[in-house]
Amino acid sequence: MPLRTVTPFLPWIAIGSLTGLAWAGWRLRGAWASLRAAQRAAQLERAQREFGDLMRDAERPEAHAHELLKALESLAGLPVAAVLRPSAGEQELVFGEPDANALAGLKLCADCGRALGPGTDHHAGEPDLYLPLRGRDAALGAVTLRGIGTEALAPDQFAHAQALCDQMGLALQRRRVQDEARQAGELAQVQSTRNAMLAAISHDYRTPLATIMGSASSLQTQGERLTPAQRKELADRIVDETARLTRLTDNTLQLARLGAPGVAALRCDWESAEEIVGAALRRVRRRPDGERVKARIDPELPLLWCDAALMSQLLDNLVDNALKYSPAEATVELVVRRVGEEALFAVRDRGPGIDPAWRERVFDAFQRGDLAAFAQRPSGAGVGLAVCRAIAEAQGGVLSLRPRGHGGCSFEFRLPLRAAPELPEAPI
Amino acid sequence: MKLLLVEDDRELRVTLREALAVEGYDVLTAASLADARAQLAHAGPIDAVLLDLGLPDGDGEELLQALRRERSTPLIVISARQVEGQKIRLLDAGADDYLVKPFGIGELLARLRVALRHRGTVAQPALTLYRRAGLEVDLAAHRVKRDGADVRLTPTEFKLLARLVRQAGQVVTHRRLLADVWGPDDTEQTHYLRLYMAQLRAKLEADPAEPRVLLTEPGVGYRIAEPG
Repeated sequence: MPLRTVTPFLPWIAIGSLTGLAWAGWRLRGAWASLRAAQRAAQLERAQREFGDLMRDAERPEAHAHELLKALESLAGLPVAAVLRPSAGEQELVFGEPDANALAGLKLCADCGRALGPGTDHHAGEPDLYLPLRGRDAALGAVTLRGIGTEALAPDQFAHAQALCDQMGLALQRRRVQDEARQAGELAQVQSTRNAMLAAISHDYRTPLATIMGSASSLQTQGERLTPAQRKELADRIVDETARLTRLTDNTLQLARLGAPGVAALRCDWESAEEIVGAALRRVRRRPDGERVKARIDPELPLLWCDAALMSQLLDNLVDNALKYSPAEATVELVVRRVGEEALFAVRDRGPGIDPAWRERVFDAFQRGDLAAFAQRPSGAGVGLAVCRAIAEAQGGVLSLRPRGHGGCSFEFRLPLRAAPELPEAPI
Repeated sequence: MKLLLVEDDRELRVTLREALAVEGYDVLTAASLADARAQLAHAGPIDAVLLDLGLPDGDGEELLQALRRERSTPLIVISARQVEGQKIRLLDAGADDYLVKPFGIGELLARLRVALRHRGTVAQPALTLYRRAGLEVDLAAHRVKRDGADVRLTPTEFKLLARLVRQAGQVVTHRRLLADVWGPDDTEQTHYLRLYMAQLRAKLEADPAEPRVLLTEPGVGYRIAEPG
């Protein structure tokens, strides 16, 4: 409803006082005017109610900024612009086309939470009116009615405009509160998962620590009563379990590194599968049971684009698991071959196999934050397998578990092949 | 043999000192960079340095750089940091070796023996005749034999093998190998190394898939096994 429909009544009073007809006319006009005023009030109220309903159900109130602008434009017949601050940290949203001056006014109005401009107590001489979008305790934005000048809004219109703005402000505030509650919930979830992971890590650390403590304290208190062979056995056990703890530490650190936000810095290069496997074999052969590992490598494999240190860690973990959880005499196979456009690294054991229900979960049992499930996990489903999967995925590959025909597991890592680089002219 | 052990953790310092003393080494110790600098300046000739990186008054890397400006005393880094990039940087900066904590005394003694053998021999190879597992490399005569029979190598293969033999028992980084064998412009071409190492292994190893002499240090470089 345009501002300029406010009827000038005064002339009618002058004429109406002269004649009865005029008096009756005046009465009529008066009634007409009250009717018009009542109608206008009802209209404003309806508009407020409708906008209020819209805001109440709005999941993202800022998406309805244009409705607010339109309502204010038709009220004042002037161009309107707005600034919205839907969340505490994020950038402001700007609607309409405020110039630099208007934008500064909008920010000022939103910051101080008071109406500024003609018809207000602040900056009354300015040509533009600024109204804050008031939330419960602060403004979450502002609108400006451009060029309203001295023809300020009528009091009821002013109140109406401010009411619309406050509906937006309250809706924005509600959304902020909801966002904050959701973020707090997510944070609590992360926290509880992390606590469960820490509990799982310390559980995994305790086993080798218990062996070390047992062996070392036996040497300490019973040393003289033990035979040299017994003493050597205890010392060997301490060394072996320390190696296990070291691997656990490396895995935990790697998992934290690969799981951190942002892309972990990989050191990819053209690597030879034969060399990676050769180095892994060299490490495993130092173990007393290391001879059980048999390797087969497809000689036609091209160079692979991967991180050699990560690949070593992946193979060490898979081979370690396979040796640990399969019968003492059984062979562990390490096979590398080309399958289509991928290199397949398979570590195969003759262990008890893994229950179908666990085949997928075995890689993240450690990270689930479910301590009851963690306690029932299959052997080996600790930080080792979790880091293997993280390593596989960091290099653009896939790690999966397949049951073997006559018992046991095959852990399979598939790495996509890339076009190998040019080689120098051979032979040199 | 006089060693300087720079390590700020008291327990580890005492353990290592005693283990090294049992082997007949005369061990000086330092718990900080300042301490280590003072020892190097005043303790007379030192045959080798064992250097921890995270010291209370700075990074051990500073000591390596300062030391390398003056002398070629063998230096082995002992660090809890398992980061390939750092390992390579320190090796390229002149560290003889890099041991990640925790390590066994046997391993430390082996690396120390190798480092001491190469001491003061940056210009001249420590040994000109390398023998191990049926392989014989005669650098002076440019001759390579396996199980007594001559093996023909291409000039590049021989250069690569000779470079590793010059530092037998120590890891040589990819970058160093590429610079010394192919030249300073080719230090990024690690795939050359993969090809030539595969060729060398095919000619020199009994089982190239499980090498005993030409060893890979994943992500860092190559090492030819200690002779013997």
